[in-house]
Amino acid sequence: MFAYYLELALRSFKRNPGLTALMVFAIALGISVCMITLTTYRAASTNPAGDRSSILFAASIDSWDPDQSYDDRDKTLAPTMLTYRDARALTASGIPDRKVIMYKSGGTYRRADKGMAPQYFATRMTSADFFAMFEVPFLYGGPWNAKADAGPDPVLVLSKKGNQEAFGGANSVGKTILFKNREFRVVGVLDDWEPMPKYFDVSNGAFQDLEDAYLPFSWGQVMELGSHGNTNCWKTEVIDSYQAFLNSECISFEAWFELRTAEKQRAFREFLDNYVVEQKKHGRFPRPLNNYLYDVDDWLERNSVVEDDNKAMLTMAFAFLAVCLVNTVGLLLAKFLNAAPSAGVRRALGASRRDIFWQHLTEAGVVALAGGGVGGLLGVCGIWALRAWYGRFVDEATRVLPFDEANFLICVAIAIAAGIAAGLYPAWRIGRAAPASYLKVQ
Amino acid sequence: MEIRPILSSLLRNRAGAILVSLQIAITLAIVVNAVFLTYQRVSHIGRPSGIDDQNIFSFWVTSYEPDHDYLAMVREDMALLRQMPGIVDAAPMNQVPLSGSGNSTLFFSLPDKKGENSPANTFETDEHAVQTLGVKLSAGKTFDPGAVIFRTERGTAWQPTGVISEALGKALFKDKPILGNTMYDDQSHPIRIIGVIERMQGSWVGWDKVDRTMLTPSIGPDASTQYVIRVQPGQLDRVIAAVEVALLKRDPNRRLDEAKKMSDMKRRGYAGDSLMAVTLSTVTGLVLVFSSLGIFGLATFNVNTRTRQIGTRRAVGARKRDIVRYFMTENWLITTLGVVVGCCLALGIGYWLSTQYQLPRLSLYYLVSGVLGLWIVGQAAAWQPSLRAAKVSPAMATRNI
Amino acid sequence: MLSMTNVSKIFRTDLIETHALRNFSLEVKAGEFLAVTGPSGSGKTTFLNIAGLLEPYESGSYKLDDVEVTDLSDDVRSGLRNQKIGFIFQSFNLMPDLNVFDNVDVPLRYRRMKAAERNKRITNALEIVGLAARMKHVPAQLSGGQQQRVAIARALAGDPKLILADEPTGNLDSLMARQVLELLEKINQMGTTIIMVTHDPELARRAHRNVQVVDGQISDLKPYEPHPTAAAQALGSSALATAGA
Repeated sequence: MFAYYLELALRSFKRNPGLTALMVFAIALGISVCMITLTTYRAASTNPAGDRSSILFAASIDSWDPDQSYDDRDKTLAPTMLTYRDARALTASGIPDRKVIMYKSGGTYRRADKGMAPQYFATRMTSADFFAMFEVPFLYGGPWNAKADAGPDPVLVLSKKGNQEAFGGANSVGKTILFKNREFRVVGVLDDWEPMPKYFDVSNGAFQDLEDAYLPFSWGQVMELGSHGNTNCWKTEVIDSYQAFLNSECISFEAWFELRTAEKQRAFREFLDNYVVEQKKHGRFPRPLNNYLYDVDDWLERNSVVEDDNKAMLTMAFAFLAVCLVNTVGLLLAKFLNAAPSAGVRRALGASRRDIFWQHLTEAGVVALAGGGVGGLLGVCGIWALRAWYGRFVDEATRVLPFDEANFLICVAIAIAAGIAAGLYPAWRIGRAAPASYLKVQ
Repeated sequence: MEIRPILSSLLRNRAGAILVSLQIAITLAIVVNAVFLTYQRVSHIGRPSGIDDQNIFSFWVTSYEPDHDYLAMVREDMALLRQMPGIVDAAPMNQVPLSGSGNSTLFFSLPDKKGENSPANTFETDEHAVQTLGVKLSAGKTFDPGAVIFRTERGTAWQPTGVISEALGKALFKDKPILGNTMYDDQSHPIRIIGVIERMQGSWVGWDKVDRTMLTPSIGPDASTQYVIRVQPGQLDRVIAAVEVALLKRDPNRRLDEAKKMSDMKRRGYAGDSLMAVTLSTVTGLVLVFSSLGIFGLATFNVNTRTRQIGTRRAVGARKRDIVRYFMTENWLITTLGVVVGCCLALGIGYWLSTQYQLPRLSLYYLVSGVLGLWIVGQAAAWQPSLRAAKVSPAMATRNI
Repeated sequence: MLSMTNVSKIFRTDLIETHALRNFSLEVKAGEFLAVTGPSGSGKTTFLNIAGLLEPYESGSYKLDDVEVTDLSDDVRSGLRNQKIGFIFQSFNLMPDLNVFDNVDVPLRYRRMKAAERNKRITNALEIVGLAARMKHVPAQLSGGQQQRVAIARALAGDPKLILADEPTGNLDSLMARQVLELLEKINQMGTTIIMVTHDPELARRAHRNVQVVDGQISDLKPYEPHPTAAAQALGSSALATAGA
């Protein structure tokens, strides 16, 4: 019977091609606008940590100004970065399975063996655990060992892009590089790796480039490398040396902890509180006890990676889809009622209400399917066009507007479901129409 | 024209009328809010920076040699740049306006963190900054060349004289005169204001205090300084290329980062606003098109299914203009129902957006314009079907189809 | 075949109630050819719609082929209509965008028949009405008489026990009307009960029995008696009808 309904639907489209095209177009436009906004929304709301999301934690402890909260918008929240002292103290804990202390820096480098012009590397000063914790893939070599953290040993890991720039993409493990005039040995080269949002450090924006080179954290203090990320200070302190900066209440550092069991998570929360209580005795942490341990999901939420604009646009897009659907309901109703006499004849010839309902719902379904298909293509074109336009402003356009197959399928499915939903009332209405009134001469 | 018969006829064909009303209601809600938000963004993007931002570029210079004389390098580079053809002026700065990165400091109107306070983007630069940025002094003057300090040690000691923006001055001194007044940092270092800039935006265009800025006559230590260069209009690309060649010729042993045009940095800063504005105005346009198509479709359908009724009216003496008026009135009633519901919906969405997403509250001016606009759109969409109805022949009354 | 007892049907609008049928009772035996006559607005068409299970009614009982249909669900009523009843309308009511074959196919589709069986029945029905050669034509390409014969084929294809015809010749000129009528008589000869609503006394006279509806009630019940002339004419003209196609 479905095949018959399908055949009738196609005949009906042939009878009113303009009206049919209008309905398909309405659904298509509605869904393509949704698809574009949903793409940016989903790109921002992706959690690249996957199933490790719930065991990776960022610590946030309230070391801020007693007179003023850190976050104007939500006064209950604590700073999202740590002071050097606190980051060091927290990562000294034995509770976590893995722990990482880090910040973003950078500087000029050149290859030791060749008189090349100095180039610039964005660097991440971090711990050996970084690579295992965030599941970083290696092309050549591997991470440095834990001993190099303490040393610090003059070792570094290059990103694939960094290796391309410095060594033309060759296996550079064992080769040396002069970073800020100091010799470093390459121990590993990363494979393609671009988690977006850059969840482990969103302080400069969630879609920023990844760093070119990774160095043991302690080199930052040895070489007095300033932060290329954010630094925020609240206290009146004289900071006249690098050491004074490290001792200050300025926050500039990040710490991540891998806590695999609920027991460890509980213990670590306790550890955080105890640490702050202990520090209060030394006159630090003037604010009330207010500590957070964020898993990756909560961390992205805390840092508003999904911006309000994204949400507002998504709301508008779905309201637009609603207009398109109401439009489609109206057009379907008009179309079906126009064809009511023929439905009346079918009823007289033995079609039940249910038959008539399904016949017309099939018709709506085909419109929805076509709308979803056309809308999907339109959405892809829209993303492509918007990306080209937006790319003139920002480098991360392709990251904010990725081609996302799952998103495509979701939107086409929404279109079909919505289109069929739009057909429900008109199909029901035509099924209820009294057949007798259409059979006499009109 | 009586409304009652039109109403009763509408009530008999409720579904179609309700659907179009609903569509108009959602349309009003979307359009009013979208236009409001778009206008916010567009005026945000369009506000003047006070700076000659179309003719400025900047870049970092990093020396590679361990023991080079950084300050001598800056001094010599500046001397070279300022006499190059096409360049209006050049200045070293620790941060660049509109660039998206920089720092801010809290200042006070009285010592010991007393009085009014305000944060400001603080530009460490020299006496050429005013001319280089193209900002206008509304009072006072810029620094004397002799006041510029080459700062070698770490730290944030502001120089005893400063040039600040009017917005910062007003935030600190309210109605009191700004020029000649003194402000203080958190360690009570006094800064006497020797010049006032009419308008100058700072580093972060998304910051609500972006127009609070201060220039201080100092040049910071190594690797904390960018070169900012203003060119004569139309010379930007040529000068960028020439500058790179000239600087590397003077001293090849250093790295010049890619030059960034201030116009690009500004666009980048407003990219989110632009994206929002473009998306919203597209949605607004589309939604209006669809609503008028919907009104048009229903009106056409109504005319088609009522040819006989129209013919009868014509046969009993209705003039063409009566028929047109009938359908236009019918449409007006449907639109009116839609805008009434739509007003509530628009205010609801507006309120929800403003609480949920920290967006400004919808102003009623937009709502009123939206209602008038939709009335016009509705009448325009119904016009052609109404004319068609008027063309129905009175003979239709007696015909059998 | 059909038995209505005290059926009442009221049309209500905001202001008035119209009693379309009041305590309407009628018995039709299998194989009958019944003509229902009466003035406009007397309730003829309402009777036919109720007989065809197209309209509900307020009270009374209706047995179709010994099945009480009053309280059946729409699905079952539709099934009965499909299996047992064929409709023929004054304005033919063919689907304008379906060709002749597909038009005749419509009731069979709702019987969920296999394609081969449908094919056989459609061809057969079209042969009976003499339009087998016009299968691929659309209604607009046919004359009024031909269109009505397609409608008859459509009614026949389902092999119904009862055919309900509403002014079947009302839109036709006299020659075509005669052919259609002869076709109906031939179908009746083959055993199908026919109830025909008409206001044309000429036409009504060709039926076995006439009932007249006035003000929603049967005004005059004529006893059942075979009409020798009509039967003879029906037999004699069937060849003509086929040849005339």
